[in-house]
Amino acid sequence: MKKDLKRTVDDLQEYYLLSAKGLIGVFRRPFYFHDFIEQMDYCGAGSLLIVCLVLLFIGMALSLRLAAELSVMGLKMYTGKVVGISIISEIGPVAAALVFSGRVGAGMASELGLMILGHQVDSLRVFGVDPIKKLVTPRILSSIIMLPALTLIGDAVSLIGAWYIAVYVSHQSGYVYWNSIQYELTFGNVFLGAFKPFVFGYIISSISCYKGLSTRGGAVGLRRSTTTAVVLSIVMIIVADFVLTRILLYVLGFSL
Amino acid sequence: MIVFDNVTFGYGPKPVLEAASLNIGADERVAILGGSGEGKTTILKLILGLIRADSGHIIVDGTNITDKPEDELSEIRRKFSIVFQEGALFDSLSVRENVAFCLREFTKMSEEEIFVKVAELLKIVGVEHAIDLMPDELSGGMHRRVAIARSLAAFEPKMFLYDEATTGLDPVNADKICRLINELCKEGTGMIIVTHKVIDAFKVARRFLFLQNGRIIFDGDRPGLLQSENPDIQEFLNEFRHEFD
Repeated sequence: MKKDLKRTVDDLQEYYLLSAKGLIGVFRRPFYFHDFIEQMDYCGAGSLLIVCLVLLFIGMALSLRLAAELSVMGLKMYTGKVVGISIISEIGPVAAALVFSGRVGAGMASELGLMILGHQVDSLRVFGVDPIKKLVTPRILSSIIMLPALTLIGDAVSLIGAWYIAVYVSHQSGYVYWNSIQYELTFGNVFLGAFKPFVFGYIISSISCYKGLSTRGGAVGLRRSTTTAVVLSIVMIIVADFVLTRILLYVLGFSL
Repeated sequence: MIVFDNVTFGYGPKPVLEAASLNIGADERVAILGGSGEGKTTILKLILGLIRADSGHIIVDGTNITDKPEDELSEIRRKFSIVFQEGALFDSLSVRENVAFCLREFTKMSEEEIFVKVAELLKIVGVEHAIDLMPDELSGGMHRRVAIARSLAAFEPKMFLYDEATTGLDPVNADKICRLINELCKEGTGMIIVTHKVIDAFKVARRFLFLQNGRIIFDGDRPGLLQSENPDIQEFLNEFRHEFD
């Protein structure tokens, strides 16, 4: 019990150190520009299709469900309003982050884990190259940049999907739908949805890099670190979403 | 060059290396022998400061590296050229990029100069035809030779370190690697090879250390090793005796 507690505290300490060093590395030389571009491509372009696909169907399902529920109360015209708030400030950032952690986070953890097991990270250290600067910083930076961009595009695709259902299935007015969404695009709602992906990107990349670089014990160890990276990222995204929503609602002056 | 003073190291409660003391000169050619999991690779990692000793002192080229912080170890590490088990080439880079890695990182050579240097190094190790291949397209022997070329590109090493350089290779390729190791040591540069293949160790080394249960149970030359009365060493050598008889 005491041993487990000590190991957990050690792990936390190492994680904080790695994630802080990884972020600080953005401001310190040398800059691995080529690695950064490669990671941007992997995180961003590589995830675009899956994020759009997931958010498109989430938007459509949400619109379908809400239209059915609201039409019973004669409030079908509010579909756009509820869909807009839900997707822009909550569902969009969280769904994009979950997809990102499943695809990019798992990829990062397994790639770095394999580099550890194959002594590639040791080779870097012997050559005098800081593995955190070379491997972690480009991954953290590209995630922080690409996840918000993916969320933005995913939100738009999701709203279009919801619009299609509202107009062609639920037979609502497209003008009313877009107008009610536009009405909800206040600074507070947009900021709430735009700020979260930056934090989620940092959480996913730092956890995945840490778990990858702490891989021990061959194929089983690699499986364990990849699984833990994804599970931990998902849990932390959900927790962080709640904490951020509570803080931002307070800061932005929303009354409950 | 390398001094271990009562060094103990373990990944868990059971030590992998226990109270090891040794002294290796810069021009010595040493083979560290022993079965799998006996702590052979651990010695190489301790020399480079990749892992930290639990107790004891490690002195490399006059510098005590036991508690040296990571950022101060670069200078020590540059005195060695290491080839890790299975080469440890960077998967995402081609052979050319792998060998050019340190030249790009630490020199101000132009791309043209780097290209010439890479070609020259690959020619030395005999894999110049593989310059545009990716690591997963290489055979085991080519993998090791490219890793040796990459380690040569790094710096001017005072000593070569080889971790299981011939393990998993067929006898022809293993022999080629041994000849290459001997070529590189011609000018008096020392080397340490970690291996469990006695026959290859005899081809390249002059001094032999035998590890068992984390302890150095033999330190001497080839006749001494062959005549050792330690039953564990005899049992280990018996497996290979038909090859060198």
